[in-house]
Amino acid sequence: MTRRADGELILLWTLPVLAVLWISAFLLFPGFVHPMAPTMSAEEVAAFYRDPENLARIRYSMILFNWFGVGMIPILVLIVLQVRRMAHRTPILSYALLGCASGGPTLFLVANLFWLLAAFRPERDPQLTQLFNDLAWVTFTSQVGFLIGQCVFIALAIHLDRQPRPVFSKWVAHFNLLVAAALAPASFTALAMAGVMAWDGLVSFWIRNAAIALWIVVMGIVLGQAIYRERREPGVAA
Amino acid sequence: MSASATRTAPLPEASRSWLGRVAWHWRYDPKLELWIGWWAMIVFYQLYGLLFFLVTRIQPPPDPSFDVPRIVQWFGDRHHGLLIGFGIVFLITGMLGAVNALLAYSMRRMSVSPAFAYSYLLIYSLSAVPGMLLTCIALVVGAMRPDRDPRLISWLYDFAFMAFDGTMGVFLIGSLVWMAAILLDRNRVFPKWFGYLNLCNALTEVVVAPAWIFKRGVFAWDGAITWWIDMVVFVIYTGVFITLIRKMIVREDFGTGPLPE
Repeated sequence: MTRRADGELILLWTLPVLAVLWISAFLLFPGFVHPMAPTMSAEEVAAFYRDPENLARIRYSMILFNWFGVGMIPILVLIVLQVRRMAHRTPILSYALLGCASGGPTLFLVANLFWLLAAFRPERDPQLTQLFNDLAWVTFTSQVGFLIGQCVFIALAIHLDRQPRPVFSKWVAHFNLLVAAALAPASFTALAMAGVMAWDGLVSFWIRNAAIALWIVVMGIVLGQAIYRERREPGVAA
Repeated sequence: MSASATRTAPLPEASRSWLGRVAWHWRYDPKLELWIGWWAMIVFYQLYGLLFFLVTRIQPPPDPSFDVPRIVQWFGDRHHGLLIGFGIVFLITGMLGAVNALLAYSMRRMSVSPAFAYSYLLIYSLSAVPGMLLTCIALVVGAMRPDRDPRLISWLYDFAFMAFDGTMGVFLIGSLVWMAAILLDRNRVFPKWFGYLNLCNALTEVVVAPAWIFKRGVFAWDGAITWWIDMVVFVIYTGVFITLIRKMIVREDFGTGPLPE
């Protein structure tokens, strides 16, 4: 008996590959392991990009981030497909999630573009390099709106999935609301140049990014479980 | 709110508290998903008006012909307003997902191809990035470093307002898609005159295009035609569709039929 290739499973198993891309890009970018401070002067920012040791790492890591950002879209669409299996009256929540799935990665790519532009001609006037660097960090850090929306819509969808065997358990809804709350303060990052709220601070950098990492891992696991359970149920065409 | 309830559910009592009624709708209202979208729309547009006109005070828009020192002063005058106001905008952006979903759903109720709903959903999901978020990001970056080279602050000012006014295509095509769906629809989800009101909104996106050419006068980004007439049409249009969508939800009758796919 030949097994037919299952497209959704192939998409699901791209997630570990994406995770490797993402962790390597994070470690490779010299501005993340010790996040760059907003208080750096234009000359210091320019020196960061001009340092030949940094420059290659900035470019390679941002190219990897670019792939990772778009690579997340099929995974988000798999979540949308699970939401479509839920006992809802309308497709509204899955449409809302589709909107967020396109918005989040688009903004991530805009931030990525600004970083790469800063690194493209580091010999530029330091004021211009600092401008690109500011645009990159502000876009990257403050654009949590679609991610928060995503978490809240997933939580709503799970609560409204009122059937004996719901697609996701209730704790996944609570987890998503917790992640949304952890992301929220980063919207206001531009108010602080130093401290926990600044873009290199505990709340806006470490908690925000740890929450996103945890979300990808946890949602990857529960999504995988839901997809495999769907295939075990009788009468479901893969 | 909605009058219909499932057969087994107790009817909401008028005497119940506001919270009690919300709890009833959460538990029993079959139209809950629609009402979530509708309330997201109400809350989002109220906050949008409040944040853009009162907190950040970037609307009505400033003069595109300001000289560089005047632009720097403009940022200085609203430093905290921009940083706090747009922080709130970033926080609530996701609500647009529910708003666009509800508007796309209205097209799924029509006797037209799903192509209309999906096109509208994609166009309006895209529209938030240039039409709102890039504007806010540019102004936040302009406000966060008042000591930046004034010429760069002036570039951020142009970037912000041209992204806001000058990305006409998304709203133009979006309104035309909705118009075509309404005029073709035989289920009478919306009255035909609302289809033509969509055309009015689409035309405002045509007359905004000269803002890329003129820095003074009625066609500049703060002009009588480009801004004032467009804003009046937009406010009427938004008020009308919020009302019509509410009517659509009240009229909606899922009955006991199968759940939609």
